[in-house]
Amino acid sequence: MIKSVLIFNQLGKPRLIKFYEQIGTTLQQEILREIHALVAKRPDTQCNFLEGCRSMGTDSRIIYRHYATLYFVFVVDSSESELGILDLIQVFVEALDRMFENVCELDLIFHFDEIHYILMEVVEAGMVIETNLTEISRAVNEGKQLIKPATDHSRLGIGALRGFV
Amino acid sequence: MFEKSLTDLIQGLRANKRNEAEYIQKSLEEIQSEVQQSDMHCKSTAIDKLNYLHMLGYDTNWANFNAVEVMASPRFGEKRKGYLAAAQSFHQETDVLMLATNLIRKDLASSNAMEVSVALDGLAQVATPELATDLFDDVAAVLGHSRPFIRKRALVCLYRLVLKHPEGLHALAPQLRERLDDPDPSVVSSAVSVICELARTNPHNYLPLAPRLYQLMNSSTNNWMLIKIVKLFASLTPIEPRLAKKLHGPLSQLICSTSAMSLLYECIHTAVVGDIIGVPLPVTDNVGREIDFAELCARKLVFFYESADHNLRYVGLVTLGELQARRPELVVNQYETVLKCLDDPDLSIRMRALSVISGMATRRTLDRTVKRLMSQLILSNTIRLQPVASLPSVGSIEYGGKYNGSAADSDLMAMATDATGASLVSARGSIVQSRQLTGAGPGPADSPEYRLLVVEAIVDMCTRQSYGNLSNFEWYVAVLVDLVYTAGVDVGQLLSEKILDVTVRVRQVREFSVRLMRQMLSDRQLVGRATSGSSTAKVLCTAAYILGEYCSLLSANSEDIALLLPECFEKLDGEQQATFIQAAIKVYTNWLRDVAGYWSTEVWELVRAVTSSIISQLSDLLSARTGEGNALGGIVAVAELPLQVTSRLRHFVEITKAVSVATSNPSDNAPQLCLELHELFTAYELNPVSAAAQGKVPIPDGLDLDSPIGGPIPDTEHIMFPPPPPVSPESRPRGSQSGGGRKQRRSHKNEPFYLDGGNDAGHARSLAELPDVDDIPVVQLDLGGHGSEDAAKTRKKKKKSTKHGATKRERRNRVRTPSPPPAPVDIAGDEDMPDVSAPQPQPHSTPPAQH
Repeated sequence: MIKSVLIFNQLGKPRLIKFYEQIGTTLQQEILREIHALVAKRPDTQCNFLEGCRSMGTDSRIIYRHYATLYFVFVVDSSESELGILDLIQVFVEALDRMFENVCELDLIFHFDEIHYILMEVVEAGMVIETNLTEISRAVNEGKQLIKPATDHSRLGIGALRGFV
Repeated sequence: MFEKSLTDLIQGLRANKRNEAEYIQKSLEEIQSEVQQSDMHCKSTAIDKLNYLHMLGYDTNWANFNAVEVMASPRFGEKRKGYLAAAQSFHQETDVLMLATNLIRKDLASSNAMEVSVALDGLAQVATPELATDLFDDVAAVLGHSRPFIRKRALVCLYRLVLKHPEGLHALAPQLRERLDDPDPSVVSSAVSVICELARTNPHNYLPLAPRLYQLMNSSTNNWMLIKIVKLFASLTPIEPRLAKKLHGPLSQLICSTSAMSLLYECIHTAVVGDIIGVPLPVTDNVGREIDFAELCARKLVFFYESADHNLRYVGLVTLGELQARRPELVVNQYETVLKCLDDPDLSIRMRALSVISGMATRRTLDRTVKRLMSQLILSNTIRLQPVASLPSVGSIEYGGKYNGSAADSDLMAMATDATGASLVSARGSIVQSRQLTGAGPGPADSPEYRLLVVEAIVDMCTRQSYGNLSNFEWYVAVLVDLVYTAGVDVGQLLSEKILDVTVRVRQVREFSVRLMRQMLSDRQLVGRATSGSSTAKVLCTAAYILGEYCSLLSANSEDIALLLPECFEKLDGEQQATFIQAAIKVYTNWLRDVAGYWSTEVWELVRAVTSSIISQLSDLLSARTGEGNALGGIVAVAELPLQVTSRLRHFVEITKAVSVATSNPSDNAPQLCLELHELFTAYELNPVSAAAQGKVPIPDGLDLDSPIGGPIPDTEHIMFPPPPPVSPESRPRGSQSGGGRKQRRSHKNEPFYLDGGNDAGHARSLAELPDVDDIPVVQLDLGGHGSEDAAKTRKKKKKSTKHGATKRERRNRVRTPSPPPAPVDIAGDEDMPDVSAPQPQPHSTPPAQH
C-alpha cells in the first residue's frame, strides 16, 4: 500500500502532506526533512527510486517525480510496483493540471485543501481507487458543484481570478 | 467582525517571511477564538486554517473537538473540511472520536453520495477498534450502493476496518468475491487491491479466488489492476505450484503483446520470482519462433537494464538479480553490461549492480570485479584515505612488486606513476589533495553504506564456496590488507575474521600472511590510530595473534617483540591486550630458540639486553595496571580488565625472569631453557574447530554440572572486609582499616595469585616466589574414548579431502589442562568458518581457542 504522499518544493517547504498511517506531527516533519534531503540532491538524470526511508520502517521505498519547482513523492511498501507508482504520479499531476490549467506551485499553495480532495479521489487510505483521469475529474467536479453556493462571496482568490471554477 | 480566510492566512504568511513564527502565533490565537464561535462558517474556516498550519508542523490536536463539530455541519463544503482535519490530525487516542460514531453513521446513510464518499474516506483514515466494531455493518451496507465510486470506497474502508476489527474478515471475504464480478472496472480494481493487501499476510486464504483473478488477467485492459494481479500471483505460485503452469500461457502472451513498460516489467518479475520460467513449455515470440520462456524473459530484460532511462535500468537490475539467483547461466554473459552499471553515478543503480555482479563472480571474472571495486574505494572524493608511512614497504617492495597481479595494488601502482612517480604514499596523498582542491562533491563511492556493501561484496565473492573462486590466495590476503587501509568504514571485525580464516585454513599462504601482518603492526600511523573498539584495533589484534602463532615461519627478530607491546597498548581493551601479550610471549620464546642455534658471547649479551628491557617494560605495565596510586587506572578498571591481562603479564614476567636467571653467567652453550621455552606453545598445532564440536562431547557419567565446585562462594562483603585475625580481634576493628588497604584488597580480588588469607602477608609474596611455569602440572586427558565418534568421523573425512595439509586427529583429541590461571583468549569468538576443503557449507567452526 501507499504509506504517504508528499509534495514539497526544492527548499523542502511542504505543499501537501498526507500520511495513511497515523503519525505524530513531529515525526511527519522529520520524515519530510529526511526525504527532502535524500531527494533534492539527486540530479534528474538519476533514477526516481530510493530504497529505504529511515523514519518509515524497513519496508518502504521512496518513489518520486520532479516537476519544475516541485517534488511529488510517494512512500510505498514492497507490494506496489515501482513503475506503476511512477505512472500514478503522472496521473495525479495530470488530474491537477486539468483542475488548475497549467498547474503551478502557487495553485498548490493557495488551494491546498483542493489538492487533498483531488488526491482523495485517487487514493483512499493508502489504496489506489481510481486511475482513470475522466473518472477522477468527474468526482472532483461533483464535489465542487456541491460547495459552489457556499463559496459565492465577495473574496476573490487567485483561482477565482482565473475563472477556474 | 471579519475573520481571515484561508487565502488571507496564506498571503499573510508569505508577506511575513521574516517573522513567520510570530505571525503564526498570532493567527493561532485568532483561530482559538474563532473555533469557539457558534457561526459554522467561521468555525469551519478556522479549522481549514488549522489544516494548513498542521501541514507546516504545528500541533492542532487541541481543536479536535471543534473538528468533530465541523464534521457535523449540514453543509457539504464545511463537513468536508471537518473530515479532512480529522484525517490529518486525529490519532488512535483521540477521545472525541467517541462522539463521532453516530455522526459518521448518519453520513454513511446520507442520500448525498458525496457525503457518503467523504465519510468513507474519513472513517478509513481514523478508524479505531471501537469505531470499526460499531460501524462495520453500516459500511458493509454501503457496498450495495448504486454509485460505483461509493462501492469502491466502501471496499477499501472495510479493509481498513478489518485491520482494527479482525472479526469482520469473515463478513468481508464473500463480499470481496462478489465485487470481483462488479460491472464497474474501478470497483473490481479496488477489490483486487484489497485482496492483494490481505493476501500478503495470509496467501493461503485467497487461493480459491485464483480462477476468477486468472479470468480477469486474461480479459482486463486496466494496467493498474493487471499489475496488481500479476504481483499477487507472484506470491501465490510458491504455495500452489500448479498455478505456474496455468500462468505460463497468459503471462508469456502479456510479455509479448503489452506496450506498457510497467506491466511488461511486472510480468517478467513475476515470471522470474514465481519460478514460472521453470515450466518446461515453449513460448512463441512475436515473429512466431518457439523459444524458451526463461530466455524470452532474459531477452526482454535486456531492454530494461540497457535502457537510457534510469528508472528502467534500475528495475531491470533488480530483476536481473532475481534471475541470476535462479538461472545463473542466463545472466553470465551480461557481465560486461553489469560491470558498466557499477560505475553509474546513481547510487541506487550501483547498489543493484553490485549485488548482481557479486553473484556473478567466477574464477575468471573475480580479478576484474575486485579491481574495479577497489578502484572505486580508492578514488573517493571525500573519504580521506589513510596515507601510511609503512605502506610502501607493504606495497612496493614485497607485496606490490612481487604480486603485480593484485588488483588493488596494480591500481595503486598505476596511480603512483600517474601522479608524481614518487612513492606510493605521496601518490595517494596527492590524489586525496587534488580531489579536494577540485572541490568535487561527494560521489556515490563516498556513501558509507555503499562502501560497506562494496567491502562485503569483495569478501563474499572471494570466500564463496570455500574460496572456490580464488586462484591466488596471496592476492586475496593482499586485498584484505588493502581494505584495512581503504575501506573507510567500520569493517574491522569482518576483515580480521577473514584474515584469520584464510591464514589458519590455507597453509600455503601463511608465511605471506604473517609477513603482511608484521608490516601492518610496524606501521606506526596505523597502530597509532588503534583505540579500544576501533576497526583498526580489531584488525591489529588479529595481526598480533597471527604473528605470534606463526612467528616461526619468519626469521626470528627481537624487534617483533616491541611491535607487540606498542605505545597504544593502554588504549586497547582487555581482550585485545591479552592477545598482544600472548603473541609477544610466543615471539620472544621463538626468538630465544632461534638465537640458541648460534649462541655466542654477543648473542648472550643481546639476550640479556632484550630480556631486561622486556622486564622493565612489563613491570611498567604491571604497576600501571595494579598500582593503587594510579588515579586514572582506578579501581573499576582494575576490577574489570585485569584477569586476562595481568595474568598474562605475570606469565611473561616469570618467563623473562627465568631466562634472566638462566643466562646470568656467560656460557658457551645456550641454556636448555632457551631452546625449550617455545615448545610450550608449539607442541600441538591448532586447527579450526567446528563450533558444533562441543555439543558432540557427551557429559561423562557421574559429572554433575549443577553442583557447585568447592564450598559456597563467600559474599562480597566478606571478601572485602575479611574477619579480623584471631590473634587480636579487638585491636583492629573494621572501621580502622585504611581506605587504601581496602582498595588494594578489592583490586586483588580477581587476581589468581592473591589468596585472601585475612592478613596482608599475602601481598608481600614476591612474584618470584610463585611456582615456576615449568612446575605447573600438565595432565593429558584421553577423550578418545568418550565417543565423539561422529565428530571424529567427519573430521577424518575432512582430513582426507584436505588440500592444504593434513590434520592430526590424535593431537586434537588430547587436551592440555590449562595452567592456572584459566583465562582463555578467545581470538575470534563466534566466527563462521566453513572448511576450506569441503565442497558444501560446513557447520560453523571457530578458530582454535588458545591457552
